[in-house]
Amino acid sequence: MDYKYIEQLLESYFDCRTTLQEEQILRSFFSQEDVPGHLAEYADLFNYEVEAREEVLDEQFDERVLAQIKQSDKPKARSIRMRTRHFAPFFKAAAVVAIVLTIGNAAEHAIGEHAAEEDNVMAIDPYTKASDVQQVIRVKDMSKQAKTQTKNDSIIGITTQDERQ
Amino acid sequence: MLDFQHDILPLKNIIFRTALRIVLNREEAEDIVQDILVKMWEQRNELEKVNNLEVYALRAARNLAIDRMEKMDNRHVSLNSNVHDRPDSETAGGDALLAKKEADFFIADTINALPEKQRTILQMRDIEGKSYKEIAEVLSITESDVKVSLFRARNELKEKIIEKKQLFL
Repeated sequence: MDYKYIEQLLESYFDCRTTLQEEQILRSFFSQEDVPGHLAEYADLFNYEVEAREEVLDEQFDERVLAQIKQSDKPKARSIRMRTRHFAPFFKAAAVVAIVLTIGNAAEHAIGEHAAEEDNVMAIDPYTKASDVQQVIRVKDMSKQAKTQTKNDSIIGITTQDERQ
Repeated sequence: MLDFQHDILPLKNIIFRTALRIVLNREEAEDIVQDILVKMWEQRNELEKVNNLEVYALRAARNLAIDRMEKMDNRHVSLNSNVHDRPDSETAGGDALLAKKEADFFIADTINALPEKQRTILQMRDIEGKSYKEIAEVLSITESDVKVSLFRARNELKEKIIEKKQLFL
């Protein structure tokens, strides 16, 4: 059998010179059982295209959208749909950050206290005045407080101008 | 007066398939269809003046889908792999049905790997059977531009098909 016509159509198709009708001819040709060997691989393409058109939405979709139409038709009630699934990754990320910072904070506290003990010992030598030691301890406490403050702010993610001042 | 069930709802399937080809996710695509249909209903007074409702709907759907696509992770998910299991490529040859599914996945994957513009145009021409004029209107480009993208899309497919055939020789 002579497949010259189909082969010409195929060439034209890949050159984007075919009409919609000719493309339909190609689809019909390739949908049959006996496609010649040298053209067989193109059958996959055309058959896929036919099937892909059969993707449809079901009645449940219709029900959902009709329900939403009725909602939006109500005079004042405008439903604001919050699609929580879209926010899920954000919440997850925020949770991870919170956990990491909490652990980090706790670890720092443990390390900080340990270091502070050592510093206190080293700061007190025979030549240090008592008032100077008090000063050093006060500064350390303040810096520890400041660190905790900024950590809490970053978990919440908001630092207002007032708080900064 | 536009009637929802008569004029707007029937567009659902072509909008769905177009959106699906862009976002490559069923849930996301369904959301988009719903959003577009509801929005069209809410604007039904203005839509009276529009002469081609389908083009209008597809243009809106595509723009929304592109927005959503850019917000999602960059995943190249095969349309079918959301619903079916992938066949084992070793057993695919032995069973005719599996071979068919494997061929479908291959074509779907190749199409879905194309840049959005090319695969949308391919979808509209080869799957939905739209004219160059309509496609140009939906994408807001020239017919000439449509042909250029379509050429690239079809020939990428051809290349992959030939490549695959040679692997089996």
